[in-house]
Order: sequence, then structure tokens, then C-alpha cells
Amino acid sequence: MDQFRFFCLGGGNEVGRSSHIIQFKGKTVMLDAGVHPAFQGMASLPFYDEFDLGTVDVLLISHFHLDHAASLPYVMQKTNFKGRVFMTHPTKAIYRWLLNDFVRVTAIDDDSNQLYSDKDLKDSFDRIETIDFHSTIEIDGIRFTAYQAGHVLGAAMFFIEIAGIKVLFTGDFSREEDRHLSVAEVPPVRPDVLITESTFGTATHEPREEKEKKLTTMIHSTLANGGRVLMPVFALGRAQELLLILDEYWSQHQDLENIKVYYASDLARKCLAVYQTYINMMNENIRKKFRDTNKNPFQFQYIKNIKNLSKFDDFQPSVVVASPGMLQNGVSRALLEKWAPDPRNTLIMTGYSVEGTMAKEILLEPTEIPSQQNPDVLIPRRMTVEEISFAAHVDYEQNSKFIELVNPKTIVLVHGESNPMGRLKSALLSKYSKYKNTPDEVKVYNPRNCEDLLVEFKGIKIAKAMGT
Amino acid sequence: MSSTIFYRFRSQKDLSRVQFDGTGITVFDLKREIILQNKLNSNLDFVLTLLHSDTNEPYDDDNTVIPRSSSVIARRSPPMKKGRGTAGRYLVGKPRINRTAP
Ligand SMILES: [Zn+2]
Ligand SMILES: [Zn+2]
Repeated sequence: MDQFRFFCLGGGNEVGRSSHIIQFKGKTVMLDAGVHPAFQGMASLPFYDEFDLGTVDVLLISHFHLDHAASLPYVMQKTNFKGRVFMTHPTKAIYRWLLNDFVRVTAIDDDSNQLYSDKDLKDSFDRIETIDFHSTIEIDGIRFTAYQAGHVLGAAMFFIEIAGIKVLFTGDFSREEDRHLSVAEVPPVRPDVLITESTFGTATHEPREEKEKKLTTMIHSTLANGGRVLMPVFALGRAQELLLILDEYWSQHQDLENIKVYYASDLARKCLAVYQTYINMMNENIRKKFRDTNKNPFQFQYIKNIKNLSKFDDFQPSVVVASPGMLQNGVSRALLEKWAPDPRNTLIMTGYSVEGTMAKEILLEPTEIPSQQNPDVLIPRRMTVEEISFAAHVDYEQNSKFIELVNPKTIVLVHGESNPMGRLKSALLSKYSKYKNTPDEVKVYNPRNCEDLLVEFKGIKIAKAMGT
Repeated sequence: MSSTIFYRFRSQKDLSRVQFDGTGITVFDLKREIILQNKLNSNLDFVLTLLHSDTNEPYDDDNTVIPRSSSVIARRSPPMKKGRGTAGRYLVGKPRINRTAP
């Protein structure tokens, strides 16, 4: 009997600070190194004190989002971590700009609250290695392959083999094709263990066309009534999809010609080139657009990029797509506070709103919101608040179908709040209840942070797996 | 005259320090200083343990006085249940009386 160990340092029964450890036969692989977007400084870190990071052989980063990658410089520079780090090329390219911005923003907030400096970021950056999709790397008995996860540009799922045990880590993934991303792939080999996100639990997404229609109708009617539209987004990832939708809609509606759409993100502007470079990693739809027009599809026709609000004339109805997505501070928060009192205005939340942030709070439609600069000052909230999720995570149908195709024996749920995750667990258990107490039994786990999960693998099974 | 205690989080390489007046500091006060110094108050739902740096034994009693110039290890752990973290006590509460002590 050999024990496979799964240990969640963060992202167990929560969304944020994803970081997991898997161990088998003396090999240790770490998956992701995120921060929790609702917290600052050390409080945002996974529980790194609970594991000796010096024993990690390989660290795989699934995608560039802060909740998966932003504590990587901390791990590489501040702890005794000595392992090798891998991510895909586009992830690495965007990671650099993104974390640069993260360091800058946290420094504005409070200099003493920084997890690491720009120098730490630079010093660790060159030690990050890259992996191509569909290529396999072997390091000292650990084999891993990257597959497309959809979700955002460069997002990978990792298929990991250690001494015959096969593990698939999905990271964040999507199974619905949109304007620019492909869907997550099903690896050709069946894993023993599937570690999957459970963000949306058993919820069902609306079909894409309906969501887009709802979004554009809402924007159009707000503008027609003389209102302003605010869409808080994370600067990179889903934002690019939303901008593609808006640019297309504006090109089809001449009556909107004089109404400006702003995208307030310097970061996104800096990453335009990365989006252009890696168009070959996106879906056929956007590649065709690129071929046909010979223009960067992310160089928008109707959307104006602004660095910050100093260049923004707020004299007439407009649409502003602004970061941060969680409304904690910055441009999105400033505009929220400015526009909240006017009932003609609309706030549209399109991402996943993390527990403990203003993004989550505002969905409850409070009558007042605290000013960020001065929390004692309350601002009346009369603007309409709407939620139309464009978050590229699987819903129940997509996830359970994916799980069926992947066909694992053991499922570990991560990246979900306790309740949706618990519901997903129950739904999966009842789906597979017919196999209970048979050799095909499917086990489902939803470990808390730092709760040890040990799975026994009988020697015979491993021998068989190694022979294939 | 200012005294110093050295500490590092268990996952960290480098030592940090807490300055105070006197010949020693209680576990309670040191935890409070460490929480404040590291701005851990944006999420207090965790458990903070201090360990002897040589033996890794935990300081169980918040009233224990740690002599100046000692070095300790700090360990940030998740609460047993969500929302049950005890770290907040060190910012607002009083030292816990160790009732099992003789
Ligand atoms: Zn993500
Ligand atoms: Zn995520």
C-alpha cells in the first residue's frame, strides 16, 4: 500500500489563495501559489507555515490570475523553496506585467504591507521555466503535461504522473467556447485522481447568446436613459472577451457612435502585444478574424483606453470597463462611489465576486456603501446593480460531463466556497452512487485548508498502471 | 533601553524583530506585536502559535514571559472551523488565563 497525499495550503473550501501539495513515493509537486483577493499582505497568503516548502520538487502554475500566481515571488524569494517552477509561455508573459502592477498597487495602498518587492519579482522571474501545451517534461521521476484549460489566455491543466499514479489538476477551466478561447481539453489518459475547481458548484449558466443579449440590452437602455454603465473587471482575462462583445455591438449600432466606451487599464494596454503574440493559442474564431483583417483583434475600434480617471471627462453617458474587479480600490471603486447615487446608472458585475470584497457586498444591493478613502462616510446607492456572469468557470452540467469524460476514481474538489462545493460533492456522489462498494466506486473529497487527505493505492494497481 | 526578540514565520528564511522595553515580553504581547507588524489584521480568521526556535515546542500559555534576545518561530494556521480563528483575541481581548496551570 502506498499513500497518495493531498494537502491544501489555500483554496480549500474557499475561492482565493489557491495552493495545493500532492505527494507520492517521496516526490512532492506543488500546484499554484496564489493570494486571497479579499485580504492584504501576509493575511492573503496560503498557509505556507504548515508545510516545508523546501521539500517541493516542482511547482506548476495553472494561469496568471492573482488567486493562482501572485504569491509565487514570495515562495521563490522569502521561503526555503528550492524547486523548479513551470508555467506556459503566455502565462509567463502576462504574469510579469500583472505582478509588476500588483507590487505597484499594494505599494500605493501601504508600503509596509508588501509581500515582496519589484526586485524580488525580477530576481525570481528568470528562474521560471516554460512548458508548451501538449508537451511533457520529466524531472526526477515526475512527469507532467500541459493541456488547454480555456478560462483565460495561457491557462493550463496539468496531467501529472508520479511512480504510476496519474493526477489531473484542472486549475480554473471552462468548457464553453467564447469569442477567443478554446474549451478545456480532455486528456487522452484516465487519471487516478482529479483535482477540480468547484467555483459554481451545482449552478447552471445561462447560454452564452442569452447572456450577451442581456448585457448589451441593459447597457443600451441605460445609455438611452442618460445613465452611465460601470463594469468592474479583472484587467486581464475575461475583460478581453467583454471588450470583444462591446466592440462588435458598437460596430453594429450606429446610434451609439457618439457614446464612448472606456477601458481604464494601463496593464491591459501593456499586455496587448502578448494577446497578439499568442493568437495562435486561441480559438479558430479569433484566428480567422486576425487572418481576415490582418489587425490585432484586441486593438479595439470603438473602445478607448485610458490610464486613469484624470483624462476622463464625465459629462455624458458612457460605458467604463475598469479594474479591479472586486471593487476594493482604484478606478472601479472611485467610479462606483461617484455614480452610485444616480438611479439612472447601472453597475454590471460580470465576474465571480469573491467573499469578503465590495464586489460581493454590492450584490446584496445595500442602500449605502462606505467610501474607501473614508469608511465613516456613507454614499447612497441608487444605481441599478446587475449580475451577468461571464466568469469562465464550468457550471454543474459542464463540470459533471467533463468528469464523466475524464473518468477518475478519486475526485478532490478545490476552489469553491463551502456551500457550492458541498452541493457539488453531494450531486457527484449521488450520480455515482450505483458504483458504491464496487471496484468502480468513485470517491469525492472536499478537504479544508491543511486537512490531510490520504488516498491508499494498492501496489497491484500501480504495477498495472506502470505497465501501460 | 530597548530590548529585542527575533522571530521568523515558519515558512520564511529571514528573521524579523520586535522591539520592546523591559527584560521580557509575554507570549500574548509578542503575538499582538507580530500580528500588527505583519498587518495580519485584514483577516484574523487564523490561529497564531509561537514555537521555541530550538525545540519547536509551542508556547502554550499566553502569560509566559519570553526573555529578551530570544528567538521564536511564528506559525500561522487555519482555524479548526471557518470563523473560529483566535488571532483576533490578541488585538482586542485580554490574555487567556491558563486554568489548567497549577
Ligand atoms: Zn482564474
Ligand atoms: Zn481562480
